[in-house]
Amino acid sequence: MTTERVMLNDGWTCFQGANADDAAAYTATADLVSILNTVDAPIVVARRDSVIVFFNKAAADVLGLSPSDIGRPFCDVSVLAGLPRLEERCSQVAASGVDSRADFRERDRWFVVRISPYTNGDRQVTGTVLTFTNVTAFRGSIDQAIYERECTKAILNTVGDPLVVLSADQRIQSGNRAFYSMFGVSRDETQGVPLYDLGGGAFELALLRTQLEEMLAGSHAFQPVEADLVLPGKGPRTLVLDARPLSFPGHSERRVLVTFQDITARKQAEAAKDLRSEEELRRSEAFLAEGQRLSITGSFCWKVATDEITWSEQLYRIYEFEIGVPVTLERIRTRVHPGDLSVLEKMKMVGQARGGGHDFEWQYRLIMPDHSIKYLHAVAHAIRDRDGQLEYIAAVQDVTARRMSEEALAEARSELAKVARVTSLGVLTASIAHEVNQPLSGIITNASTCLRMLDADPPNVDGARETARRTIRDGNRASDVITRLRALFSKKEFTFELLDLNEVTREVIALSLSDLQRNRVALQLELAEDLPTIIGDRIQLQQVILNLLRNASDAMVDVHDRPRQLLVRTEREDGDRVRVSVRDAGVGVDPRSMNKLFDAFYTTKIGGMGIGLSVSRSIIEGHQGRLWAESNDGPGATFSFSIPSGPESVTNAAPR
Amino acid sequence: MMGKRSLVSVVDDDESVRESLPDLLREFGFAAEAFSSAEAFLASDVVSDTSCLLLDIAMPGMSGPELQQELIRRQQEIPIVFITAQGDKAVRPRLLAHGAVECLLKPFSETALLAAVNTALRMRSE
Repeated sequence: MTTERVMLNDGWTCFQGANADDAAAYTATADLVSILNTVDAPIVVARRDSVIVFFNKAAADVLGLSPSDIGRPFCDVSVLAGLPRLEERCSQVAASGVDSRADFRERDRWFVVRISPYTNGDRQVTGTVLTFTNVTAFRGSIDQAIYERECTKAILNTVGDPLVVLSADQRIQSGNRAFYSMFGVSRDETQGVPLYDLGGGAFELALLRTQLEEMLAGSHAFQPVEADLVLPGKGPRTLVLDARPLSFPGHSERRVLVTFQDITARKQAEAAKDLRSEEELRRSEAFLAEGQRLSITGSFCWKVATDEITWSEQLYRIYEFEIGVPVTLERIRTRVHPGDLSVLEKMKMVGQARGGGHDFEWQYRLIMPDHSIKYLHAVAHAIRDRDGQLEYIAAVQDVTARRMSEEALAEARSELAKVARVTSLGVLTASIAHEVNQPLSGIITNASTCLRMLDADPPNVDGARETARRTIRDGNRASDVITRLRALFSKKEFTFELLDLNEVTREVIALSLSDLQRNRVALQLELAEDLPTIIGDRIQLQQVILNLLRNASDAMVDVHDRPRQLLVRTEREDGDRVRVSVRDAGVGVDPRSMNKLFDAFYTTKIGGMGIGLSVSRSIIEGHQGRLWAESNDGPGATFSFSIPSGPESVTNAAPR
Repeated sequence: MMGKRSLVSVVDDDESVRESLPDLLREFGFAAEAFSSAEAFLASDVVSDTSCLLLDIAMPGMSGPELQQELIRRQQEIPIVFITAQGDKAVRPRLLAHGAVECLLKPFSETALLAAVNTALRMRSE
């Protein structure tokens, strides 16, 4: 580029390679121009009226000024438009003679523009010199630092737990928003204040001070410290202070970051929980006591090894002992019904049995001082205590009321049974008539024959003797029938006696035979020979069998396409029980009704009262047996009952 | 006077009837046979010889009225006197309506028996 000397008016000289205008008042040497052109920083020289008179090469290269910009005011040069109030600033500099600086952003570059007065040889300020220093890189790192500081500040202010930085002498340097808010102070009023002055001196704690001092001396360990204080507007609080050392590169001074955690709520919750569990325990004990009282169930714990017995209050009430008196087996014995003392002994033996620890239950009676009787039902559960010692937890229920109502129920049932007997009276009348008329008929016929034989000539004495003998036999037969019937219809309480169920069954069949025959029932008997005896009420059991036979017979009334087979069987069951079953070939039992069969007043018979099976079942249960129905593989149903054999099956001590 | 004595057959499952009734009938001068069931009577060789049948109503197996029907089916029209221990008078008119000569309720007198048998025998001879 050739440089020409260009003269501008007012004596300005512009060194410019092209289009230099006319000569002006001032000249500069070509050397100066070339020096300025070696400077990397753009330099622009303007007149006092802000018209550009000179710029160096860097200004052309960096700012993109072109030769045509010479002679133009700043405001006409687009690249300088990013400098607000440039002309005004330049005027001020020219007027004051003092440098001015301004930040200038040109697209993505940042410059610091230094505006200096241009002084000519006459020490007159005739314009300004603008020197542009590119600070883009520097500016970026500052921005980044500012940004990061702001982020950190934002994060710290977002942290809910208060944080504070302490100086080496444990004075407050700066805290986050939560810190100032917690203590109700401002940044300014706490700056440089010792930590220990905070919170009314609550942090003046030896443990805290020593630890902080040690940390500031280089230690890293810190045991959190709890402090109780009153916070403005928040009331009593418990804070936990924790600390960690802070060190900064290039700074030798150590600082400490202290955090405050408010554990008041947690402490209160814990306290409340302790209180609550205590309350819950109290309540559950109250529940238990109330439950025991309502259900009249007491409980006790029996340590087998030491014979130590602990009773619940309700058990004391049941025994009518004064609550709290020590319980001994001797004392218990004074209450137990003499007839059940053996039960107590047995229970003790079972409990202490070698390898014991089985759950068991028993029933017994108490005789109270007023001679009233209480029925108790006890269930014991074996557990091992921590030392492996056997102990029993037992619940003892006073079932007196239940027993009373059961007895009332049994009484009602026995009344019902009587009703049932009377109800079947009509049906039985025919049987009775048949049973009695049959031998009567024999008696009269034989007597007639006898008379005729005696009246004959000669009298047939041998024949008469024979017919008289038959007359006596038939008379006895009639008498037997009457005896059986009288037994059946007399109101009698349960009379337990040793019974042969085969015999019982045969007697009932003898009574029902005519009934069965009239209904064309083919009866088959299978009576076991080795049947053990049972203890029971003959009449009641006959009532049951009779009822089953009649049901079976009735069930076959409408059967015309097959034999009306009726099988009555007695057999010995496993476990020393005796079973009687009555199997018919009738219409069978609807499986859906199977469970209703034994309900009182359930009947499928027209004119039936539906109490036969219900009463039968209660009778069998009164014999500790069970009565049930099953559908046959073929047509019909089988009704069976089984009752325990042997004399021990019915006892007074355990009637249930 | 007469050659052969009229045969009166007794069908009853009750043993004392089977023992006593034939003896009395023989005292009356009849021949008598006893059977314990309707089937036994039908299987015997006296059906056609029987002039009068004393028949129980309720028996195991074939009942009295069923035997009556069976005899009609076999065209063995034997006059029948029913005997029953059931004591139900209501049954009598029904049986008479179905062709029975008489229905005697046990226990019956020898007079009633004789009258019924004689009536039966008269019908037989008519």
